[in-house]
Amino acid sequence: MSNLIEARGLTKDFGDFRAVNEVSFTVEKGEIFGLLGPNGAGKTTTLRMLSGLLSPTAGEASINGFSMQQEQMKARRSLGFLTGDMDLYRRLNPRELLLYFGKLYETPKAELEERVERLIEAFGITPFVDRHCEKLSTGQKQRVSIARTLVHDPQVVVLDEPTTGLDIMASEFILQFIRKMAKEEGKALIFSTHNLTEVERLCDRIAVVHQGNLVYLGDIAGIKAQTGTSTLPQAFFELVQDEALSLQN
Amino acid sequence: MRRHIISTIFGKEIKEVLRDKRMLYLIILLPFFLYPVLFTLIGGVGASQQEKLLNQEITVWVSPAAEGTAIPALLGQDSSLKVAYKEFAEGDLDSLKRTIGIWVPTDYQQKIAAGEAATVKIYADQSQDVLNMRERMLSAQLQALNQQLLQQRLAERDLAAQFATPLQLESVDLSPEESGNRMMTAFLPMMILLFIFIGCIYIAIDITAGEKERRTLQTLFTTPASTQEIVAGKFLAVASVGIVSATMNILSLILATQIQAYLLGEADAGMSLSLAPVAWGWMLVLVLLTTLFIGALSLAIVLLANSYKEAQSYVSPLMMVVLIPSMMAAMPGVELNLQTALIPVFNVALAIVSIMKGTLDTGMLSIVAGASLVYGVLALYLASLTFSNENVITGEKLDWKALLKR
Repeated sequence: MSNLIEARGLTKDFGDFRAVNEVSFTVEKGEIFGLLGPNGAGKTTTLRMLSGLLSPTAGEASINGFSMQQEQMKARRSLGFLTGDMDLYRRLNPRELLLYFGKLYETPKAELEERVERLIEAFGITPFVDRHCEKLSTGQKQRVSIARTLVHDPQVVVLDEPTTGLDIMASEFILQFIRKMAKEEGKALIFSTHNLTEVERLCDRIAVVHQGNLVYLGDIAGIKAQTGTSTLPQAFFELVQDEALSLQN
Repeated sequence: MRRHIISTIFGKEIKEVLRDKRMLYLIILLPFFLYPVLFTLIGGVGASQQEKLLNQEITVWVSPAAEGTAIPALLGQDSSLKVAYKEFAEGDLDSLKRTIGIWVPTDYQQKIAAGEAATVKIYADQSQDVLNMRERMLSAQLQALNQQLLQQRLAERDLAAQFATPLQLESVDLSPEESGNRMMTAFLPMMILLFIFIGCIYIAIDITAGEKERRTLQTLFTTPASTQEIVAGKFLAVASVGIVSATMNILSLILATQIQAYLLGEADAGMSLSLAPVAWGWMLVLVLLTTLFIGALSLAIVLLANSYKEAQSYVSPLMMVVLIPSMMAAMPGVELNLQTALIPVFNVALAIVSIMKGTLDTGMLSIVAGASLVYGVLALYLASLTFSNENVITGEKLDWKALLKR
């Protein structure tokens, strides 16, 4: 089975408001999938349904073949999840934090310790490994956060705006790591961002969500062809134009 | 539920508490220094205030008819009283100018000499501390004079002193030795419950609403730890801190009263907890069960808040849940019976009062313990309901109907 992520008709209502309407897509092993959309389009709600933080009003999400609704614990074991709403424990240092989450995923002790040391090395955390997380810079925190999503070696990784607020060096580091995770380690990766240059560089396929609906699903060449534009930003604006126009009026 | 997951969560919460200096000061160090300092300070201020009141000069207007009687001699003993003879009416006395009036009838001396009763009135604005205190002192002195005159009259008629007191009234207190200090019996249950609450509430806020504000709570809910395991781990941390805080507070309170008693030179007057081991055992069981209830309830309620600030607005109503029943338990006449044993918090406060009074009704205490356990479990269930609610965890608008559904 090569589809590691499956979203089938995901729908979420908050009272009378439909935040996400029948969104469906799949992500394969080794694929980097971009989830795009303006603020408030329903991206984070969709991702939260994928992670089990929110249960869908209708539809189903499955991770690595396990339904997030029926077999939540198994599904969660295969998922590394990071959104902008997630920060680090202030009074733990990066190593303690990684070990803590590793234990919650029931990673065997020796394997966990070895993996944590590897992540510390790979993410360049060593210089600040003994410092409490509250004293880290934004870039350092983000490296620890991403290392945290990988501490149980998940098959699926979801990163919601992982480069927001980072400088060029820190962003570049993270982008290269994303590529490595998908292409070398064969993980399925959902990557949500507002930076369309990053999308063009990394993503194999993209989905554009607008006002809760999936308005495009396919590759980058396809979105340009469909909208008759030559660049991704132009194509993106074309798709979400209704909102852009209503903002102008 | 997996024990190692619960202990991992518990261990992490405790580690963070131990590294939070503010929290440590608040729940452990502060109480240890607070009471001794507070008690010494209050004692010191009280004593100096008393002295100030005693040294203030007071004008005492005395009816001229009292001149040449024993009354002026009495007043002369106190150098801060300035005696002036004058006819006065009630309205002439001015509390701002610190005046007190002693009125005697014009035929005072004749009445005394004739063996009759003479009315003596003391006028003072008793709402003024300084005048109230002097009024009490003057009344006492006049009572003494009354006794003295009575003795004289009895002697003149060759009657023994006992003639005027046919009944020698004696009241013997039969309360058991352990019952100890009455004040303590009334206040200790309230103190214990309040300290448990204070100990629980701050860490409860920190690991629920505080985590939401610091954006660390959601991460935990994307791991394979179940809601029940998360509630259990966090609850154990809250309860442990609550117990430690209550213990520190009570030890400090006892220490403070003993220091004060020592300073006042009354070595035996401090609070002593000379209870039997069984009584201590029951106290411990009740304290643990109450912590279960208060800790779980605090956790369930403050999780509803999305920030520290919002959570703090829930503290006062929650504190009332603890304070009002424990204050009611200290009222005279309120007793532990089959009905009161079933009211949460109130029952434990009453049970502690009854233990402190030296009564150990095992049957009734078992009912209290059983009821407290049921309430504790219900509170834990409520906590697991709030923790299972996705809107609460993600900080969305709370849907109350959904909260009560699983």
